[in-house]
Amino acid sequence: MQAIKRKKQKETIIESFFLICAFVAVISVLAITVFVFYNGLKPFVSNSYPLWDFLTGVEWRPGSNMYGIFYMIVGSIFATLGAILIGVPVAIFTAVYISEMAGSRIGKVIRFAVELLAGIPSVLYGVFGLGIIVPYVLKISPMAQGESLLATILVLAIMILPTVVSISETSISAVPREYREGSYALGASKIQTIFKVVLPAARSGIMTGVILGIGRAIGETMAVMLVCGNPIAGIPTSLFDQIRPLTTNIALEMGYASGVHQELLYSTGVVLFIFIMIINLAVNKLVKTKVGS
Amino acid sequence: MGRKAKDSLVKGIIYLATGITLSVLLFIVGFIFVKGIGLVNWDFLTRDFNEKVVYAFIESNDVPLSIDEESLNGKNPYDKRYETHLEGPIYVENIGAAIAKVAYKNHSTEREQFVVTYIEKDSPLHNAKDSTGKDIKIGSDYILQSINGTDFDGLTLVEVAATIADESGELKIKIVQPGGGIKSNIITTLYMVLLSLVVALPLGIFGAIYLTEYAKPGKLVNAIRFAAECLAGIPSIIFGLFGMAFFVVALKFQISLISGSLTVAIILLPVIIRSTEEALKTVPMAFREGSLALGATKLQTIFKVVLPCAVPGIATAVLLSIGRVVGESAALLLTAGTVAQIPGTLFSPGSTLTVQAYYVAKEEGNIELACAIGIVIIVIVIVLNILSRVTSDKLDVFNKK
Repeated sequence: MQAIKRKKQKETIIESFFLICAFVAVISVLAITVFVFYNGLKPFVSNSYPLWDFLTGVEWRPGSNMYGIFYMIVGSIFATLGAILIGVPVAIFTAVYISEMAGSRIGKVIRFAVELLAGIPSVLYGVFGLGIIVPYVLKISPMAQGESLLATILVLAIMILPTVVSISETSISAVPREYREGSYALGASKIQTIFKVVLPAARSGIMTGVILGIGRAIGETMAVMLVCGNPIAGIPTSLFDQIRPLTTNIALEMGYASGVHQELLYSTGVVLFIFIMIINLAVNKLVKTKVGS
Repeated sequence: MGRKAKDSLVKGIIYLATGITLSVLLFIVGFIFVKGIGLVNWDFLTRDFNEKVVYAFIESNDVPLSIDEESLNGKNPYDKRYETHLEGPIYVENIGAAIAKVAYKNHSTEREQFVVTYIEKDSPLHNAKDSTGKDIKIGSDYILQSINGTDFDGLTLVEVAATIADESGELKIKIVQPGGGIKSNIITTLYMVLLSLVVALPLGIFGAIYLTEYAKPGKLVNAIRFAAECLAGIPSIIFGLFGMAFFVVALKFQISLISGSLTVAIILLPVIIRSTEEALKTVPMAFREGSLALGATKLQTIFKVVLPCAVPGIATAVLLSIGRVVGESAALLLTAGTVAQIPGTLFSPGSTLTVQAYYVAKEEGNIELACAIGIVIIVIVIVLNILSRVTSDKLDVFNKK
């Protein structure tokens, strides 16, 4: 009896150990949220910098105590929107090709290519952007430099491809065969079936892919940092203007910032974090509705 | 437009889009290889990034030249980084090596230097020691700056050769070991992979065991799953911010290997939890029941039956994680720094390959070098990709049985 009891005790202890391990994820999320928000909200709570000026300012000049991130928010949003506009159609068509039109061998090759594209570290996209896209943009640009909103959009459009392709492809493949057969039986062509039956049926999965793509684009740092120009002021008004997204603001200056300057970099992180949380919630909701239907 | 025409138009667009996706990949990989391949060689992989000045001690010893003057000239072994060849080479017998005067291009100001271009096989340079008696390897693109206190600066090649030839006995030579290599970055990357896996792997695997083997559906499990999903969605710069605030500042770990690897360990958690969970789920229920029916405890069942079956899945998780660490840059930029050195302790900084690629591209504008580092990274990524394909196929095979 004693032995069994001891065995049971041991099992309970180990079970709670497993639970603690699993709980590290929760603790991490909480710790990240708390640390970033605590540091980021400090300057506004202690009134060392007004929140309104921070959110609406269009100049970031740490030297003269001006910390406005409105132009960065605009830059981030423009870059993300542009990347989505260019990248998503290409990605969805590619996904359609892989799952509906390609033979199994070609499909495998393309899938491998997409996986490889996903595996290339973001820095290398940046190096590519700096080596190819930036000089090319410079050629057609009226500005003196190639680093621009346009270059950023192009790099991001490439970077979201693998995310959107693989998730759309999975959800397109998951559409039941009967849907397609029913459509063919009604006399629809393959293309009509794809666009009127299959894609609508896979809509929520594709949307999830798009939203994750948005998340990747808005959170991307290193690649963007090399091609965006990082100006200290100014809302972008043309594709050839330089931009300074939220992410690069943090990465560029965190290394040497101190005091209010550093805290406001955390505040920049808070704004980014809020964007990401909204995106996460949207994904969560979409996934749930998919399960629900 | 008729239906047929419309269909073929759309088909064309689909082909075009797929073509774009494929060619983008080929273009990027091709660009990086074409730009960088010229710099990738053994020296690139085995040298430090920064050049290093050392004093080498050798015993002078006359070694006659065994090759003819012409092939000495024709050999031209200098590194690509030396832009213009100014004079020489001249063979100096007492050090058994040929030297030439070249202009060094890797700096904004052009420097004239005397570089070793050829070393005889009996040359005393092969037995060079540093001041502590440790062996120094001297290669055929090392720079000589002074001998026994006589500086070569401003001298002609003939004068330098004469100066060296005049010395005898033990020689103290100031040598610049050329940099431009990524040895330290490769080693830092390895350290980073090992350390972050040591932390994240047990946490992730045990966490996944809890989720699949113990947890009953409820609020707690939902919270854990939601947290893992959130972690997966947080951009790496935010992890960097957290790592900076928590590990670097609050725990006073400084910008270091340990801060970087702990930050990356958090990034890895969702990857490991998810793939281990998937692997555990594929182990048939009957296996567990069989084990339990034989009188094994739950724990024994997990460790002796379930986990061994899930090994290929866990291997996939490890490979994915390695890829993630190798590719990580924004978080490491803030927590492990950009110093190209082999971290001596857990608390010293070091830059991984990706951070180094960023650094040379951004701070030095050296696209070729960034691409050369990129080649190493891409090769690693491709190898990992293929390996993970193999391991996940193994998992499938097991299921079909």
